Amino acid sequence: MDLLEPTRQAFALLLSGDRALWQSIWLSLWVSVAAIALVAAPSIALGFLLAKKRFPGQRAAVVLVQALLSFPTVVIGLVIYLLLSRRGPFGSLDLLFTPWAIMIGYMMIAFPILVVFTISAVQGADPRVYETARCLGAGRAAASLTTLWEVRFGILASVVNGFGRAISEVGCAIMVGGNIAGLTRNIPTAIALETTKGDFAQGIALGIVLMVVALGVNVLLAALQGEGGLK
Amino acid sequence: MSAPLLQLHGVRKAYGTRLLFAIGNLRIDAGGAYVLTGPNGSGKTTLMRMLAGLDADADGGLDFRGTPASFPMFPDRLRRAIVYVHQHPYLFHTSLRHNLEYGLKRRGMPPAERARRVEEAIAWAGLDARRATPPARLSGGEKQRAALARARALDPELLLLDEPTSSLDREGRAQTLALLAQLRSERRTVIVACHDQEIIDLPGFARLRLDEGRITLQSG
Repeated sequence: MDLLEPTRQAFALLLSGDRALWQSIWLSLWVSVAAIALVAAPSIALGFLLAKKRFPGQRAAVVLVQALLSFPTVVIGLVIYLLLSRRGPFGSLDLLFTPWAIMIGYMMIAFPILVVFTISAVQGADPRVYETARCLGAGRAAASLTTLWEVRFGILASVVNGFGRAISEVGCAIMVGGNIAGLTRNIPTAIALETTKGDFAQGIALGIVLMVVALGVNVLLAALQGEGGLK
Repeated sequence: MSAPLLQLHGVRKAYGTRLLFAIGNLRIDAGGAYVLTGPNGSGKTTLMRMLAGLDADADGGLDFRGTPASFPMFPDRLRRAIVYVHQHPYLFHTSLRHNLEYGLKRRGMPPAERARRVEEAIAWAGLDARRATPPARLSGGEKQRAALARARALDPELLLLDEPTSSLDREGRAQTLALLAQLRSERRTVIVACHDQEIIDLPGFARLRLDEGRITLQSG
Protein backbone atom coordinates (compact mmCIF):
# COMPACT_ATOMS: atom_id res chain seq x y z
CA MET A 1 0.00 0.00 0.00
CA ASP A 2 1.22 3.50 -0.83
CA LEU A 3 1.58 5.39 2.45
CA LEU A 4 2.97 8.60 1.01
CA GLU A 5 -0.17 9.77 -0.75
CA PRO A 6 -2.57 9.27 2.21
CA THR A 7 -0.01 10.95 4.48
CA ARG A 8 0.19 13.93 2.10
CA GLN A 9 -3.62 14.06 2.07
CA ALA A 10 -3.66 13.84 5.87
CA PHE A 11 -1.48 16.95 6.20
CA ALA A 12 -3.60 18.71 3.58
CA LEU A 13 -6.74 17.86 5.57
CA LEU A 14 -5.24 19.17 8.79
CA LEU A 15 -4.10 22.39 7.14
CA SER A 16 -7.37 22.91 5.30
CA GLY A 17 -9.20 23.23 8.63
CA ASP A 18 -11.62 20.42 7.75
CA ARG A 19 -14.63 21.01 10.03
CA ALA A 20 -15.48 17.38 10.89
CA LEU A 21 -11.84 16.57 11.54
CA TRP A 22 -11.24 19.50 13.87
CA GLN A 23 -14.56 18.89 15.67
CA SER A 24 -13.32 15.40 16.58
CA ILE A 25 -9.98 16.80 17.73
CA TRP A 26 -11.58 19.54 19.81
CA LEU A 27 -14.05 17.07 21.39
CA SER A 28 -11.24 14.66 22.32
CA LEU A 29 -9.20 17.41 23.90
CA TRP A 30 -11.86 19.13 25.98
CA VAL A 31 -13.53 15.93 27.17
CA SER A 32 -10.19 14.39 28.21
CA VAL A 33 -8.94 17.54 29.91
CA ALA A 34 -12.25 18.05 31.75
CA ALA A 35 -12.39 14.40 32.84
CA ILE A 36 -8.85 14.53 34.27
CA ALA A 37 -9.46 17.91 35.89
CA LEU A 38 -12.54 16.55 37.65
CA VAL A 39 -11.15 13.19 38.73
CA ALA A 40 -7.58 14.18 39.64
CA ALA A 41 -8.08 15.81 43.05
CA PRO A 42 -10.32 13.10 44.61
CA SER A 43 -8.16 10.31 43.13
CA ILE A 44 -4.93 11.82 44.44
CA ALA A 45 -6.52 12.36 47.86
CA LEU A 46 -7.73 8.73 47.93
CA GLY A 47 -4.31 7.50 46.79
CA PHE A 48 -2.66 9.45 49.60
CA LEU A 49 -5.06 8.04 52.21
CA LEU A 50 -4.59 4.48 50.97
CA ALA A 51 -0.82 4.93 51.09
CA LYS A 52 -0.59 6.56 54.51
CA LYS A 53 -3.53 5.49 56.65
CA ARG A 54 -3.92 2.12 58.29
CA PHE A 55 -7.54 0.94 58.59
CA PRO A 56 -9.43 -2.35 58.33
CA GLY A 57 -9.90 -3.27 54.68
CA GLN A 58 -7.15 -0.96 53.47
CA ARG A 59 -5.25 -3.78 51.75
CA ALA A 60 -8.46 -5.01 50.09
CA ALA A 61 -9.20 -1.46 48.88
CA VAL A 62 -5.74 -1.19 47.32
CA VAL A 63 -6.13 -4.58 45.60
CA LEU A 64 -9.54 -3.52 44.29
CA VAL A 65 -8.19 -0.29 42.79
CA GLN A 66 -5.26 -2.18 41.29
CA ALA A 67 -7.70 -4.67 39.78
CA LEU A 68 -9.62 -1.78 38.17
CA LEU A 69 -6.44 -0.97 36.24
CA SER A 70 -6.76 -4.15 34.24
CA PHE A 71 -10.51 -3.92 33.63
CA PRO A 72 -11.30 -3.88 29.89
CA THR A 73 -12.52 -0.44 28.93
CA VAL A 74 -15.47 -1.90 27.04
CA VAL A 75 -16.67 -3.43 30.31
CA ILE A 76 -16.42 -0.01 31.94
CA GLY A 77 -18.34 1.32 28.94
CA LEU A 78 -20.95 -1.38 29.37
CA VAL A 79 -21.46 -0.57 33.06
CA ILE A 80 -21.84 3.14 32.29
CA TYR A 81 -24.16 2.30 29.39
CA LEU A 82 -26.41 0.26 31.68
CA LEU A 83 -26.41 2.99 34.32
CA LEU A 84 -27.21 5.76 31.82
CA SER A 85 -29.53 3.88 29.48
CA ARG A 86 -33.17 4.89 29.46
CA ARG A 87 -34.12 2.03 31.79
CA GLY A 88 -31.05 2.45 33.99
CA PRO A 89 -30.99 4.22 37.36
CA PHE A 90 -29.63 7.44 35.79
CA GLY A 91 -31.57 7.21 32.51
CA SER A 92 -33.64 10.30 33.34
CA LEU A 93 -30.48 12.42 33.09
CA ASP A 94 -30.37 11.77 29.32
CA LEU A 95 -26.59 11.58 29.24
CA LEU A 96 -26.13 8.52 27.04
CA PHE A 97 -24.60 9.31 23.60
CA THR A 98 -23.45 12.74 24.75
CA PRO A 99 -19.91 14.01 25.44
CA TRP A 100 -20.81 13.93 29.15
CA ALA A 101 -21.19 10.15 29.03
CA ILE A 102 -17.75 9.88 27.41
CA MET A 103 -16.36 12.15 30.11
CA ILE A 104 -17.76 9.88 32.84
CA GLY A 105 -16.15 6.92 31.09
CA TYR A 106 -12.81 8.70 30.88
CA MET A 107 -13.02 9.57 34.57
CA MET A 108 -13.64 5.91 35.43
CA ILE A 109 -10.70 4.84 33.27
CA ALA A 110 -8.30 7.46 34.66
CA PHE A 111 -9.38 6.98 38.29
CA PRO A 112 -7.43 3.76 39.09
CA ILE A 113 -4.37 5.05 37.20
CA LEU A 114 -4.28 8.21 39.30
CA VAL A 115 -4.93 6.36 42.57
CA VAL A 116 -2.38 3.59 42.00
CA PHE A 117 0.34 5.98 40.78
CA THR A 118 -0.31 8.25 43.78
CA ILE A 119 -0.07 5.30 46.19
CA SER A 120 3.22 4.33 44.61
CA ALA A 121 4.58 7.90 44.70
CA VAL A 122 3.55 8.52 48.33
CA GLN A 123 4.81 5.13 49.53
CA GLY A 124 8.09 5.88 47.81
CA ALA A 125 8.38 9.25 49.53
CA ASP A 126 11.06 9.62 52.15
CA PRO A 127 9.35 9.28 55.57
CA ARG A 128 11.46 12.21 56.77
CA VAL A 129 9.40 14.55 54.57
CA TYR A 130 6.26 14.23 56.70
CA GLU A 131 8.24 14.13 59.94
CA THR A 132 10.30 17.18 59.04
CA ALA A 133 7.16 19.12 58.16
CA ARG A 134 5.58 18.12 61.49
CA CYS A 135 8.74 19.02 63.41
CA LEU A 136 8.77 22.44 61.78
CA GLY A 137 5.24 23.09 62.99
CA ALA A 138 2.99 21.89 60.15
CA GLY A 139 -0.33 20.31 61.10
CA ARG A 140 -1.29 16.90 59.72
CA ALA A 141 -3.02 18.36 56.64
CA ALA A 142 -0.18 20.76 55.84
CA ALA A 143 2.42 18.00 56.33
CA SER A 144 0.39 15.75 54.00
CA LEU A 145 0.29 18.47 51.34
CA THR A 146 4.04 18.98 51.76
CA THR A 147 4.55 15.24 51.17
CA LEU A 148 2.44 15.39 48.02
CA TRP A 149 4.42 18.40 46.84
CA GLU A 150 7.69 16.54 47.38
CA VAL A 151 6.44 13.69 45.16
CA ARG A 152 4.86 16.09 42.67
CA PHE A 153 6.72 14.63 39.70
CA GLY A 154 5.27 11.18 40.39
CA ILE A 155 1.82 12.71 40.78
CA LEU A 156 2.24 14.70 37.55
CA ALA A 157 3.26 11.50 35.80
CA SER A 158 0.04 9.90 37.00
CA VAL A 159 -2.00 12.80 35.62
CA VAL A 160 -0.21 12.57 32.28
CA ASN A 161 -0.75 8.82 32.17
CA GLY A 162 -4.43 9.20 33.01
CA PHE A 163 -4.81 11.84 30.30
CA GLY A 164 -2.97 9.69 27.76
CA ARG A 165 -5.15 6.71 28.55
CA ALA A 166 -8.33 8.78 28.30
CA ILE A 167 -7.58 10.60 25.05
CA SER A 168 -6.60 7.39 23.26
CA GLU A 169 -9.50 5.29 24.54
CA VAL A 170 -11.86 3.72 21.95
CA GLY A 171 -14.06 0.96 23.41
CA CYS A 172 -15.78 2.91 26.16
CA ALA A 173 -16.14 6.05 23.99
CA ILE A 174 -17.93 4.11 21.25
CA MET A 175 -20.23 2.32 23.72
CA VAL A 176 -21.41 5.35 25.65
CA GLY A 177 -20.81 8.05 23.02
CA GLY A 178 -22.15 6.23 19.98
CA ASN A 179 -19.56 7.80 17.62
CA ILE A 180 -22.08 10.40 16.39
CA ALA A 181 -20.55 12.79 13.85
CA GLY A 182 -20.32 16.34 15.15
CA LEU A 183 -21.46 15.33 18.62
CA THR A 184 -19.54 12.41 20.14
CA ARG A 185 -17.06 11.43 17.44
CA ASN A 186 -13.59 11.95 18.86
CA ILE A 187 -10.07 11.18 17.62
CA PRO A 188 -9.83 7.43 18.39
CA THR A 189 -13.41 6.59 17.40
CA ALA A 190 -13.00 8.58 14.19
CA ILE A 191 -9.73 6.76 13.40
CA ALA A 192 -11.47 3.41 13.91
CA LEU A 193 -14.39 4.42 11.70
CA GLU A 194 -12.46 6.09 8.88
CA THR A 195 -9.98 3.21 8.66
CA THR A 196 -12.78 0.65 8.26
CA LYS A 197 -14.22 2.90 5.53
CA GLY A 198 -10.84 2.93 3.81
CA ASP A 199 -10.33 6.67 4.35
CA PHE A 200 -6.75 6.41 5.51
CA ALA A 201 -6.01 10.12 5.11
CA GLN A 202 -8.51 11.00 7.89
CA GLY A 203 -7.13 8.23 10.11
CA ILE A 204 -3.53 9.29 9.57
CA ALA A 205 -4.38 12.97 10.17
CA LEU A 206 -6.06 12.15 13.48
CA GLY A 207 -3.26 9.76 14.40
CA ILE A 208 -0.73 12.53 13.84
CA VAL A 209 -2.71 14.83 16.14
CA LEU A 210 -2.92 12.13 18.80
CA MET A 211 0.84 11.56 18.65
CA VAL A 212 1.57 15.30 18.73
CA VAL A 213 -0.67 15.68 21.81
CA ALA A 214 1.01 12.71 23.53
CA LEU A 215 4.45 14.04 22.70
CA GLY A 216 3.53 17.59 23.74
CA VAL A 217 2.16 16.51 27.10
CA ASN A 218 5.25 14.42 27.84
CA VAL A 219 7.60 17.19 26.77
CA LEU A 220 5.69 19.53 29.09
CA LEU A 221 6.03 17.01 31.92
CA ALA A 222 9.76 16.66 31.33
CA ALA A 223 10.13 20.46 31.26
CA LEU A 224 8.23 20.80 34.54
CA GLN A 225 10.29 18.05 36.12
CA GLY A 226 13.56 19.61 35.06
CA GLU A 227 16.41 18.18 37.08
CA GLY A 228 14.10 17.50 40.01
CA GLY A 229 12.34 14.74 38.14
CA LEU A 230 15.55 12.88 37.58
CA LYS A 231 16.39 12.56 41.26
CA MET B 1 19.80 26.51 89.78
CA SER B 2 17.82 27.33 86.60
CA ALA B 3 14.16 26.44 86.15
CA PRO B 4 13.36 23.02 84.66
CA LEU B 5 12.22 23.28 81.09
CA LEU B 6 11.36 19.63 80.74
CA GLN B 7 10.90 16.81 83.19
CA LEU B 8 10.31 13.18 82.31
CA HIS B 9 8.80 10.85 84.84
CA GLY B 10 8.04 7.15 84.71
CA VAL B 11 8.83 6.91 81.00
CA ARG B 12 8.99 3.37 79.63
CA LYS B 13 9.62 2.43 76.07
CA ALA B 14 9.32 -1.19 74.99
CA TYR B 15 9.05 -3.11 71.76
CA GLY B 16 6.70 -5.95 72.62
CA THR B 17 8.16 -7.59 75.69
CA ARG B 18 11.62 -6.10 75.16
CA LEU B 19 12.16 -3.06 77.34
CA LEU B 20 14.30 -0.46 75.57
CA PHE B 21 14.57 1.97 78.46
CA ALA B 22 12.86 3.09 81.64
CA ILE B 23 13.46 6.62 82.83
CA GLY B 24 12.31 7.26 86.38
CA ASN B 25 13.07 10.95 86.37
CA LEU B 26 15.01 13.26 84.07
CA ARG B 27 15.25 17.01 84.29
CA ILE B 28 16.34 19.29 81.44
CA ASP B 29 17.06 22.84 82.54
CA ALA B 30 16.17 25.89 80.48
CA GLY B 31 19.31 27.20 78.80
CA GLY B 32 21.15 23.94 79.39
CA ALA B 33 23.15 22.09 76.76
CA TYR B 34 23.37 18.31 76.90
CA VAL B 35 25.04 15.56 74.96
CA LEU B 36 23.20 12.24 75.00
CA THR B 37 25.58 9.32 74.63
CA GLY B 38 25.18 5.57 74.75
CA PRO B 39 25.89 2.49 72.70
CA ASN B 40 24.14 1.81 69.40
CA GLY B 41 20.63 0.52 70.00
CA SER B 42 20.39 2.00 73.49
CA GLY B 43 17.46 4.18 72.39
CA LYS B 44 19.00 7.63 71.93
CA THR B 45 17.18 8.34 68.68
CA THR B 46 13.97 6.82 70.02
CA LEU B 47 14.08 9.09 73.06
CA MET B 48 14.73 12.14 70.88
CA ARG B 49 11.85 11.21 68.59
CA MET B 50 9.55 10.76 71.58
CA LEU B 51 10.48 14.21 72.85
CA ALA B 52 9.66 15.61 69.39
CA GLY B 53 6.26 13.92 69.31
CA LEU B 54 7.26 11.55 66.51
CA ASP B 55 6.94 8.38 68.59
CA ALA B 56 3.74 8.26 70.59
CA ASP B 57 3.93 4.63 71.68
CA ALA B 58 5.38 5.02 75.17
CA ASP B 59 4.22 5.05 78.77
CA GLY B 60 4.83 7.78 81.27
CA GLY B 61 4.64 11.50 80.98
CA LEU B 62 6.48 14.75 80.71
CA ASP B 63 6.10 18.20 82.17
CA PHE B 64 7.03 21.08 79.91
CA ARG B 65 7.40 24.35 81.80
CA GLY B 66 5.34 22.74 84.53
CA THR B 67 2.46 21.72 82.25
CA PRO B 68 1.90 17.95 82.09
CA ALA B 69 1.62 16.12 78.77
CA SER B 70 1.77 12.56 77.51
CA PHE B 71 3.44 10.97 74.48
CA PRO B 72 0.26 9.51 72.95
CA MET B 73 -1.47 12.91 73.24
CA PHE B 74 1.48 15.08 72.31
CA PRO B 75 0.15 18.66 72.24
CA ASP B 76 0.68 20.97 69.25
CA ARG B 77 2.06 23.57 71.67
CA LEU B 78 5.00 21.24 72.36
CA ARG B 79 5.51 20.52 68.66
CA ARG B 80 6.13 24.23 68.20
CA ALA B 81 8.36 24.52 71.26
CA ILE B 82 10.54 21.49 70.51
CA VAL B 83 12.31 21.10 67.16
CA TYR B 84 14.05 17.88 66.16
CA VAL B 85 16.69 17.62 63.44
CA HIS B 86 17.18 14.17 61.92
CA GLN B 87 20.58 12.48 61.78
CA HIS B 88 20.43 12.91 58.01
CA PRO B 89 18.31 16.04 57.74
CA TYR B 90 15.75 16.31 54.98
CA LEU B 91 15.65 19.48 52.94
CA PHE B 92 12.54 19.98 50.82
CA HIS B 93 13.21 19.87 47.08
CA THR B 94 12.37 23.50 46.61
CA SER B 95 14.88 26.22 47.49
CA LEU B 96 17.07 27.08 50.44
CA ARG B 97 14.89 30.11 51.15
CA HIS B 98 11.69 28.03 51.11
CA ASN B 99 13.26 25.53 53.52
CA LEU B 100 14.24 28.26 55.95
CA GLU B 101 10.85 29.93 55.65
CA TYR B 102 8.75 26.77 56.00
CA GLY B 103 8.36 26.69 59.78
CA LEU B 104 8.19 30.48 60.04
CA LYS B 105 5.18 30.48 57.70
CA ARG B 106 3.52 27.76 59.76
CA ARG B 107 3.86 30.02 62.76
CA GLY B 108 2.05 32.82 60.93
CA MET B 109 5.03 35.14 60.97
CA PRO B 110 4.62 38.33 58.89
CA PRO B 111 6.58 38.37 55.59
CA ALA B 112 8.98 41.13 56.63
CA GLU B 113 9.98 39.31 59.81
CA ARG B 114 10.26 36.05 57.87
CA ALA B 115 12.58 37.64 55.35
CA ARG B 116 14.74 39.07 58.14
CA ARG B 117 15.02 35.69 59.86
CA VAL B 118 15.79 33.88 56.62
CA GLU B 119 18.63 36.30 55.85
CA GLU B 120 19.93 35.93 59.38
CA ALA B 121 19.75 32.12 59.13
CA ILE B 122 21.64 32.09 55.82
CA ALA B 123 24.37 34.28 57.32
CA TRP B 124 24.49 32.21 60.56
CA ALA B 125 24.97 28.97 58.62
CA GLY B 126 27.52 30.54 56.27
CA LEU B 127 25.44 29.66 53.22
CA ASP B 128 25.37 33.05 51.55
CA ALA B 129 27.20 31.80 48.48
CA ARG B 130 24.88 28.80 48.21
CA ARG B 131 21.52 30.59 48.45
CA ALA B 132 20.68 29.90 44.77
CA THR B 133 21.83 26.27 44.88
CA PRO B 134 19.03 23.67 44.84
CA PRO B 135 19.03 21.91 48.26
CA ALA B 136 19.66 18.53 46.64
CA ARG B 137 22.99 19.86 45.34
CA LEU B 138 24.28 21.02 48.72
CA SER B 139 27.04 18.97 50.31
CA GLY B 140 26.33 16.88 53.41
CA GLY B 141 27.85 19.54 55.65
CA GLU B 142 25.90 22.31 53.96
CA LYS B 143 22.66 20.35 54.32
CA GLN B 144 23.38 19.84 58.01
CA ARG B 145 24.09 23.55 58.49
CA ALA B 146 20.95 24.50 56.56
CA ALA B 147 18.89 22.16 58.73
CA LEU B 148 20.42 23.59 61.91
CA ALA B 149 19.74 27.12 60.70
CA ARG B 150 16.17 26.17 59.74
CA ALA B 151 15.55 24.81 63.24
CA ARG B 152 17.30 27.69 65.00
CA ALA B 153 15.34 30.30 63.00
CA LEU B 154 12.20 29.05 64.73
CA ASP B 155 13.70 30.06 68.06
CA PRO B 156 12.60 26.77 69.69
CA GLU B 157 12.58 26.33 73.44
CA LEU B 158 14.28 22.96 73.04
CA LEU B 159 16.45 21.89 70.12
CA LEU B 160 17.04 18.16 69.58
CA LEU B 161 19.94 17.24 67.29
CA ASP B 162 20.47 13.63 66.30
CA GLU B 163 24.08 12.76 65.46
CA PRO B 164 24.68 16.06 63.63
CA THR B 165 28.25 15.22 62.60
CA SER B 166 27.79 11.62 61.52
CA SER B 167 28.72 10.98 57.89
CA LEU B 168 30.25 14.44 57.46
CA ASP B 169 33.72 15.01 56.12
CA ARG B 170 36.36 16.81 58.19
CA GLU B 171 35.45 20.26 56.98
CA GLY B 172 31.71 19.63 57.44
CA ARG B 173 32.32 18.37 60.97
CA ALA B 174 34.41 21.39 61.88
CA GLN B 175 31.76 23.78 60.62
CA THR B 176 28.96 21.93 62.40
CA LEU B 177 30.96 21.82 65.64
CA ALA B 178 31.42 25.59 65.40
CA LEU B 179 27.66 26.04 65.03
CA LEU B 180 27.02 23.78 68.04
CA ALA B 181 29.43 25.84 70.13
CA GLN B 182 27.59 28.94 68.96
CA LEU B 183 24.23 27.46 70.00
CA ARG B 184 25.75 26.87 73.42
CA SER B 185 27.04 30.43 73.65
CA GLU B 186 23.55 31.68 72.75
CA ARG B 187 22.29 29.83 75.85
CA ARG B 188 19.82 27.76 73.83
CA THR B 189 18.46 24.60 75.39
CA VAL B 190 19.83 21.82 73.27
CA ILE B 191 20.21 18.05 73.47
CA VAL B 192 22.66 16.47 71.04
CA ALA B 193 22.61 12.70 70.63
CA CYS B 194 26.06 11.63 69.51
CA HIS B 195 29.07 9.35 69.61
CA ASP B 196 31.38 12.11 68.43
CA GLN B 197 34.05 12.72 71.08
CA GLU B 198 34.62 16.25 69.84
CA ILE B 199 30.98 17.13 70.55
CA ILE B 200 31.11 15.33 73.90
CA ASP B 201 34.16 17.40 74.80
CA LEU B 202 32.59 20.72 73.80
CA PRO B 203 32.75 23.08 76.80
CA GLY B 204 29.50 23.74 78.63
CA PHE B 205 27.71 20.53 77.58
CA ALA B 206 26.41 18.26 80.35
CA ARG B 207 26.63 14.54 79.66
CA LEU B 208 23.62 12.24 79.69
CA ARG B 209 24.27 8.55 79.19
CA LEU B 210 21.63 6.08 78.10
CA ASP B 211 22.79 2.54 78.66
CA GLU B 212 21.16 -0.77 79.54
CA GLY B 213 17.75 0.87 79.75
CA ARG B 214 18.74 3.57 82.25
CA ILE B 215 19.68 7.20 81.82
CA THR B 216 22.19 8.94 84.02
CA LEU B 217 23.46 12.50 84.21
CA GLN B 218 27.22 12.06 84.28
CA SER B 219 28.29 15.66 84.60
CA GLY B 220 26.94 19.15 84.41
